[in-house]
Amino acid sequence: MTETSNWLLNVVIFLPLLFAGLVAFLPSGERTLVRGTTFVGMLLSALASVWLYLDFVPNGPEFQFETRWHWIDALGISYHIGVDGLAVSLILLTGFLGPMVVLASWGTVQNRVKEFHLSLLVLQTAMLGALSSLDIILFYVFWEAMLIPMYLLIGVWGSEDRVMAAVKFFLYTLVGSFLMLVAILAIYFISQPNAGARSFDLATIYNALVGANRELSACLAAGGENCHLSPVAATLKTWGPYLFLAFALAFAIKVPMWPVHTWLPDAHVQAPMAGSIILAGVMLKMGTFGFWRFAFPLFPANGREFQILLAVLAVIGIVYGALMCLAQRDIKKLIAYSSVSHLGFCMLGMLAMSKEGATGSAYQMLNHGVSTGALFLLFGLLYDRGHTRLMADYGGVAKVMPVFAAFFLIITFSSIAVPGTNGFVGEFLVLLGTFKSDFLKYGFGVFAATAVILGAAYMLWMVQRVFFGEPSHREAHHLSDLNAREIVTALPFVVLVLVMGLMPQPFLERIEPASARFVARATLGSPHAPADAARLLRMEVADLPPAESAPKIAALPAAPTPVPAPSPAALQAVEIPPTVRPVETPVRRPIERRFPQLQRVQPSPSARQP
Amino acid sequence: MESIQHFFMTSPFDADSVRHALWLIIALPALGALINGVFGRWLGRANSNLIATAAVGGSFVLALLTFWHINDWNQVFTTPFDTRPIRYAVGMDHGTWFSAGDFIVHFGLRVDHLSGTLLLVITGVGTLIHLYSTEYMSHDAGYWRYFAYLNLFVAMMLTLVMADNLLLLFVGWEGVGLCSYLLIGFWYSDPAKAWAGRKAFITNRVGDFAFLIATFLTCLVMWSFVKQANVDNFGNVTAQQAFATGLREKGPVDFSGLEALARALPVDPGHAPTGTPAVTLQTEIAQGPLSGITYGTVLTAILLLFLLGAAGKSAQLPLYVWLPDAMAGPTPVSALIHAATMVTAGVYLFCRMSFLLVLSPTAMAFVAVVGALTALFAAVIAFAQDDIKKVLAYSTVSQLGFMFMAVGVGAFWAAILHLVTHAFFKACLFLGAGSVMHGNADETDIKKLGGVKRKMKVTYVTFTIATAAITGAIPLSGFFSKDAILHAVHGTTLAGHEAITHLVWILGLLAAAGTAFYMTRVWFLTFQGDRAADARIPEEKVHESGWAMTVPLVLLAALSVLAIGYGIPLMSAGEHGREPVMENFLRPIFATAESITSAQATVAVSHEGSLAFSWILAFVIAWVATGAAIFAYTRFFPSRAGQPAPAFAKRFQTWTRDKFYVDELYDLVIIKPIRGLASLLFRVVDAVVIDTLAVRGTAWVTARVGSVLRYFQTGDTQSYAAVMALALLGGVAWALVQVLK
Repeated sequence: MTETSNWLLNVVIFLPLLFAGLVAFLPSGERTLVRGTTFVGMLLSALASVWLYLDFVPNGPEFQFETRWHWIDALGISYHIGVDGLAVSLILLTGFLGPMVVLASWGTVQNRVKEFHLSLLVLQTAMLGALSSLDIILFYVFWEAMLIPMYLLIGVWGSEDRVMAAVKFFLYTLVGSFLMLVAILAIYFISQPNAGARSFDLATIYNALVGANRELSACLAAGGENCHLSPVAATLKTWGPYLFLAFALAFAIKVPMWPVHTWLPDAHVQAPMAGSIILAGVMLKMGTFGFWRFAFPLFPANGREFQILLAVLAVIGIVYGALMCLAQRDIKKLIAYSSVSHLGFCMLGMLAMSKEGATGSAYQMLNHGVSTGALFLLFGLLYDRGHTRLMADYGGVAKVMPVFAAFFLIITFSSIAVPGTNGFVGEFLVLLGTFKSDFLKYGFGVFAATAVILGAAYMLWMVQRVFFGEPSHREAHHLSDLNAREIVTALPFVVLVLVMGLMPQPFLERIEPASARFVARATLGSPHAPADAARLLRMEVADLPPAESAPKIAALPAAPTPVPAPSPAALQAVEIPPTVRPVETPVRRPIERRFPQLQRVQPSPSARQP
Repeated sequence: MESIQHFFMTSPFDADSVRHALWLIIALPALGALINGVFGRWLGRANSNLIATAAVGGSFVLALLTFWHINDWNQVFTTPFDTRPIRYAVGMDHGTWFSAGDFIVHFGLRVDHLSGTLLLVITGVGTLIHLYSTEYMSHDAGYWRYFAYLNLFVAMMLTLVMADNLLLLFVGWEGVGLCSYLLIGFWYSDPAKAWAGRKAFITNRVGDFAFLIATFLTCLVMWSFVKQANVDNFGNVTAQQAFATGLREKGPVDFSGLEALARALPVDPGHAPTGTPAVTLQTEIAQGPLSGITYGTVLTAILLLFLLGAAGKSAQLPLYVWLPDAMAGPTPVSALIHAATMVTAGVYLFCRMSFLLVLSPTAMAFVAVVGALTALFAAVIAFAQDDIKKVLAYSTVSQLGFMFMAVGVGAFWAAILHLVTHAFFKACLFLGAGSVMHGNADETDIKKLGGVKRKMKVTYVTFTIATAAITGAIPLSGFFSKDAILHAVHGTTLAGHEAITHLVWILGLLAAAGTAFYMTRVWFLTFQGDRAADARIPEEKVHESGWAMTVPLVLLAALSVLAIGYGIPLMSAGEHGREPVMENFLRPIFATAESITSAQATVAVSHEGSLAFSWILAFVIAWVATGAAIFAYTRFFPSRAGQPAPAFAKRFQTWTRDKFYVDELYDLVIIKPIRGLASLLFRVVDAVVIDTLAVRGTAWVTARVGSVLRYFQTGDTQSYAAVMALALLGGVAWALVQVLK
């Protein structure tokens, strides 16, 4: 189904936008129709993302489902999308949360229903696009595009202080983004000294920098003095730290890492339930994803100079976030601070730069999306009934809402990483990776592991205040338990928590190759680089098709590949020459379909840079 | 006789079918939990009871059949770590749970003589307690929830003992903690009970934190060792390759792998299998994050961390504080979870990893001392508790201390023997206490009971038998198991820690005397004497419980007596004469530990001490303490409420009753500072420093700068022109100066 695969990623990304176009033409009074249409759009996109996920070949080429079209040739910008194991996992998460959010808001959002759903749909496309962009400018466009709908979601449908929170969120994020833009431009020029042949394509920039980064690593390892560096490496030595920090700040704000986290509690508290779910579920991962995809691979040597600092911040985030939770009275704020703690784990696992840690980090991103998304969802359902966020105003809820209590408790156990739930697998791997790390001392792991205790302390404290004891108000006796729609919304989260806890292997299988590549790239030039690093360093992507004037079909006869016996083992053994890899080479498909004729393109000589 | 022996030692089953049915032992109670948890509300009481009890009962039958199977010498279990098969065992690997990088862990189950023994205890005692609960919870509206939790607990406990690797064991380990949390806080409308559940979970989490770190360090040691070790460590190339293969296939947390590690790691070069230098405990780890630290040091650290983990689960010093509060749960829960099964998990953990423990005499000394101090400390607290369940809770803590003592001196079989007999008599005591409460309008204060024996004959007789068993006043099962421990402590010395073993022995004797004292006190105040004046209901209204409660009591009392059989030296043990049945039965499990001990002299066991001497000693101690208790409570201060007691006794009583203020100390030293720090950080760092000074400060500075700059943006052409002219002038002047220079 190669033809399908080629457009499948585009479908996943743009279906929500298409439905946004549809919703825009619906009369705003038809609320149910608007909700229904949005739901269908989200659901179709979600199903497509599941299909995408299942079709992704774990041990196939790094980027699959690639599409590359001309966009702004003069600047070397192309429309280039594709997914690796991490991106496809996060896309699955985003796709899954989409319809859930619509369902969850069904009974909650009552004003400006159409605009609300338009924002959701546009946001969905922006997030999916950012996850799959392989062109840095395209990424930046999607990255910034995420801001606006989220700003609206918080600012229009939020609680009492929504405007303050929305502005804070917007400005905080924007500060980082602009610095990142500057860094993007700088790296565009630094990596490609030849005017006229420059490209914003991630792979081109990355591959162009590998040599320089290796030189720089060797130089820094030798003390950093008196090195004979190539011009690019010398530039990186001077400016690399600032460029890395510009990227790192943008992503760190998004994560959010301590101490740039203070937008998060406000944004979460003020955001409507849908906003909180998406914010926690997907948008925070954009930060960790950015570190993984851009900051460390592009600046491995400079990045490692800040590795310890970032790891310290991550551990502070873990412990500090957990301590903050103990001081909260507002349930949403508590969940928000618990995100700071959990995302600290994602960062720590990545910074450990061991395969276990990186895989755990990626898995923890998914887990956090599921369990914290579910916490915000469930709390949203409670808020609809009780209209207060303060713990003290509840109490004894388990008695009047037993089904709700059961759901909440299961998600709580996932959040505090009880074995058998998804949280445990992620947390275990992150901590194991941190202990195994050649870069971080075991103190990092020990401090991070205290979250095992603190996490249980604050979550169970909250559970007790809300669910146990006697109701503190008379109204609390009349809270109604979940209805069928709400159960349908919450049940998938609970099922996922258990499935991801007991059968994590299908998920980890897709993440593992991506984390092996991440570790290889982030440890480039380091004495602790893994043995198999060399083969994983190069980023292989499809080439830009020839200029649009030429009919694409003309490229057909250029590479008459002989068809060998289609045994998977033989296929894996075939050495694919650098940069000549066609778009689609998944392993398990019949060979005739693996080399689609449309993409059978010889690279232009300019793309074949060393 | 021969033929009977042959019958029980020949498996009637096909090995494959047993292997493939192992998971059912766990699945049955898990299914029961699922059915009761999801549909319980609509099932009705009788169905709910039936499903829950049948699920555990079915599990018990399967466990029995499996036990029969592994009694067969021909039943073997092979692991990739070892070329030789493990006898008397059956195992099943259900594939990978998860893997990443070098790490991999399987859903692997294993039943051998150790886990088989525990399987029978868990499912057997579990079935009886389920039966008991059907009546005990007959007036509770949340019965289906109760049975769902209880079934889930059994499933988790079975996972814990059947796991063939550390991580799957940890699933059960945390799973039982979770169920314990749910069951302690079962009556959650009472904030104190919900709080007790939370306290239990979080205290256990402190232990789990240590457990996890120990697991990580274990992984690192395995990975370092496989790179560093040479052929001499393993004896031959095949064994070395097997170790590497096993590590790759089964991962670093598999128990067989750890056993292979223990066998391959000699204590010092002098004891290396061959002459050439092998990696020893004194060798430094060559690379990785632990480089420069010796294997021995890391191993001791690992074991001490596991000790903290085990102290959490098994309520030892310093983490025992949750167990007495856990009595907030329904009494059958206390019997099953907080006496017979869950709290023994720490003992099981060390027995499972006996081969590692014996490599580090330092860690063993710590285990033994922690056990001995806990045993004595908890016994003293139990002197003055008035709540019958609290006394039993502290008694459990104390008895677990005995088991830790045994583990600490390497007498693993004695620990398991005491674990089994304790499961019988303590479950019987708890269920008896529950029966007393059931018949006395939920009264738990022993000073407000009294004379119960007249109305509750079955409860009285069974409670008396169990009391005799735990005190050792009559040589029932507890006498032999506790004496086995004290005898082993007396006859063992840990290399480098000789004085400690003597200290442990004396502490153990004192704790044994304490046990006899407080148990006699409880027994006496509850069942003997007159009815207390302020009893909740008059004596006429006291009633014996129904059959569902008395049958388990009778069976458990009978087991407390019959378990004598395990402790009596009946089996031939070569040159050392005869050895107890349990020691013989568990020999295949502890063979590695034993061979390490004898080859490397970490633990010296003397066989000279006479068993008869320690029996007589134990007997004397038990009777002295029992007599003292009876004397004190009949003659000296028969302290029902309101009656005077001597001043020194009162002061002692206040201290012990208030548990030596340990809870208050923890609150002051740990909980309050953390809470204070949290709120300080939130109010100062987060709200003021970061958000106000840094974030809003930046905004403020930006706004101020903007408003200053505003004055330059007047839109007045003349002033713009003036500025331009001035600037031009200045520039020209500067140029002139430069030129003239």
